Amino acid sequence: MTEQRKKILIVDDERLNINVLHDLLKEDYKTMAAISGKQALKAAESDNPPDLILLDIMMPEMDGYEVCETLKSNDKTKDIPIIFVTAMGQTSDETKGLEYGAVDYLTKPVSGPIVHARVKTHLELKRQRDELKSAYRVIESQKERMEDELLVGREIQMSMVPQEFPPFPDRHEFRLHAKLFPAREVGGDFYDYFLIDEDCLCLCIGDVSGKGVPAALFMAVTRTLIKARATEDRSTASIITRVNDELARDNKKFMFVTLFLALVEISTGRVTYTNAGHNPTILRRKSGDVELLDAFHGPVVAASPELAFKEDTIFLEAGDMLVMYTDGVTDTRNVEKEFFSQARLEKLVSNSDTNEAEQIVEGIFSEVKAFEGEAEQFDDITLMALSLKTDTTTGRIDEFSITLENQLSEITNANLKFNEFVEKHSLTIELRRQFNLVIDELLNNIISYAYEDDEAHQIDVSGALYENQFILRIRDDGIPFNPFIGPAPELADSLEDQAIGGLGIHLVKNLMDQAIYRREINQNLVTLIKKLQ
Amino acid sequence: MEIKTRDENDIKVIYLEGEMDTNTSPEVLSELDNLRNNGVKKMLLNLEKLDFISSAGLRVLLATAQQLKASGGDFRVCQLNKEIKEVFDISGFSTLLMVFDNETKGISGM
Repeated sequence: MTEQRKKILIVDDERLNINVLHDLLKEDYKTMAAISGKQALKAAESDNPPDLILLDIMMPEMDGYEVCETLKSNDKTKDIPIIFVTAMGQTSDETKGLEYGAVDYLTKPVSGPIVHARVKTHLELKRQRDELKSAYRVIESQKERMEDELLVGREIQMSMVPQEFPPFPDRHEFRLHAKLFPAREVGGDFYDYFLIDEDCLCLCIGDVSGKGVPAALFMAVTRTLIKARATEDRSTASIITRVNDELARDNKKFMFVTLFLALVEISTGRVTYTNAGHNPTILRRKSGDVELLDAFHGPVVAASPELAFKEDTIFLEAGDMLVMYTDGVTDTRNVEKEFFSQARLEKLVSNSDTNEAEQIVEGIFSEVKAFEGEAEQFDDITLMALSLKTDTTTGRIDEFSITLENQLSEITNANLKFNEFVEKHSLTIELRRQFNLVIDELLNNIISYAYEDDEAHQIDVSGALYENQFILRIRDDGIPFNPFIGPAPELADSLEDQAIGGLGIHLVKNLMDQAIYRREINQNLVTLIKKLQ
Repeated sequence: MEIKTRDENDIKVIYLEGEMDTNTSPEVLSELDNLRNNGVKKMLLNLEKLDFISSAGLRVLLATAQQLKASGGDFRVCQLNKEIKEVFDISGFSTLLMVFDNETKGISGM
C-alpha cells in the first residue's frame, strides 16, 4: 500500500507562476491552485485541506502576509506549514514573512531542487509535529483515564467506611470515633466497626497496598470476608487466618493488606486482637500511661497462604482507650522532610488530657496536619479510637483460677477455691451462694454433655474481682454449645433430666447480671458478670 | 532512588539507595523486572542505604520474590538498617522474605 500523496496548495495571481511550480511538483505531490488570497483561504478551510502552502506575497486585494495572518489565526488552518514565494529577494520581506508565521521562503525564479528540498523538509517536520501531537493526546487521555480510575477507586473506598458518628448513639458504655483523610492520589486505608451481638464489638483498621479501582476492590473483598467470618468466629486469629487463605489464593497482583482486628466484649472490657503487619495499636490507660500492642501475630494479609496467625487478649477498664491508626499518621512529613513518627504519636496520646475517643482522634489529626504544614499529604491518614465509659468495668482488684478435670467430683474443688477467694476479700455470703450454684450448674452441664469421647479434658475456671463487679469465666474444649439459647443438642434420655437442665440455666441467667457465651478456637467460653453494690 | 548492581557468580547483588515510596517504587520494579527478563534468577538486595520504604515498595519486593520463586530462582535481602528493619518487623516481611545480616551471609548457600 503506497502512502497517500501529500497535497500542496500553490497560491499566485499569475497563472504562469502556478504552472511552473505545478510542473516541478506534480510528479511527487498532488497540487491545488488558488489565484487569489480569498480562494487560498477557502481551499485551506475546506474539508480537504492542503498539507503545505506555497504562498506568493504580492497579490492584489489580499496580499500573502494577510493570507498568512488569517490562516495562522484560525485553529483549523494554523498548523499548515506556509512557504512564502517572493520575487523581491530582499531580506526584510523574508523576515517579515517569517514573523507572520511562515516556516520558510523561496525566491523567484524558483529552482527545482530547492523547491523539492524545502517542501520535503517541511512536510517531514509537519509529520513529526503531528505525531508528537497525537502521542501527547494519547498521554493526556491515558492520564485522564488514570485519574478517573483513581477517583473511582477513591469513591469506592470512601463509600465503604462507615461515617456516622457517634456510630451507636444509644450505647453509653463506650465511645467510638474514626476519621479517614484521603491523600490526593495514593492510599488504600480503610476501617470498619460493627456490633456482632449486643455485647461484642468488632473493630478493624487496615491499609491496602496499591491504588485505584483494584485496591478498592481488594479492600471491599477484605472487609466482606472479615465481616462474614466475624459473625461466626470469635477468635481474631482464626478470622485472619481464614481471610488470609482466601485472599492469598490467586493473588496475581501481589496486593496485600495490613490489618489490626479486635473483638471487644463490652461488658467486661475483654479485647481479643490480632495484628497482621499493621502499626501497633496504642492502649492509653485512664492514668495516661501508654502501652503498645506490638506483639507480632503474623505478616501482612494476602502475601502468603497457609499461615497461622496468633492473637492476644487485654482488658480495658473504664477510662481506658484504644487508639488505632495507619502509617499515614506516623509517616506524615513536614517541609523539612521529618517524619511525624511513632514516638511523637505515643507522646501525644500520653500527654493528651482526654479519654474520649472523638477528642483524641480529632486532636491527633489536627496535630498531624499542623506538623505537615505546607508539605503535600502523601498517604491516607486514618485514625480510630475506642474509649470505655465509667459504667463499665473499673478497678481490677484480684483474680483466681483453677483447672479441673471433667469429673463431677471436681465441682467441689472449684467451689472451694471460689470460697477461699470470697473470704480473702470479705465478699457477701449472698454472692458466695449465688456463684456456688452457678458454678455447680454450669460445670455439671459441661461435664455431663460437652464431651463426645471418654478422654480426660481440662476445664478452666477463673474469676476476677473489680471495684464494681465480679466476673467468672468457664472455658472448656467440648463440642460447641451455647447453654443460654435453646435446649442442649444431646441431652439425657429422660424428660425429667431435660427439664431440670433447663431450670439450672434459667437460674444462672436470673442470678447474674449478664451471662455471655462465646465459641473461641475449639473452646466454649462462658462469662458471668455480677455487679457489686 | 539510586540502583546499583554488581555480579557475584550468578547472583545479582543490588544496592538500593534513597527512598522507596509510591513515586519511586515503579522505577525499582521496572529495573528488577528488566533484570529478571534478562535471565537473572538470583537476587540479593542490599538495603543498607535505603532510607525509607512504604507499602508500595514492599509490594515490589514481594512481587519480585514470588516471581523469582515461581521460576526456581532465589530472592534475598540483607543489611537492613534500623528504619527498614522496623518496617519489616511490623509488616511481617522479616518472616515473609529471606533476610540476612550482611552480604556474605546472604550470598552463602544461594
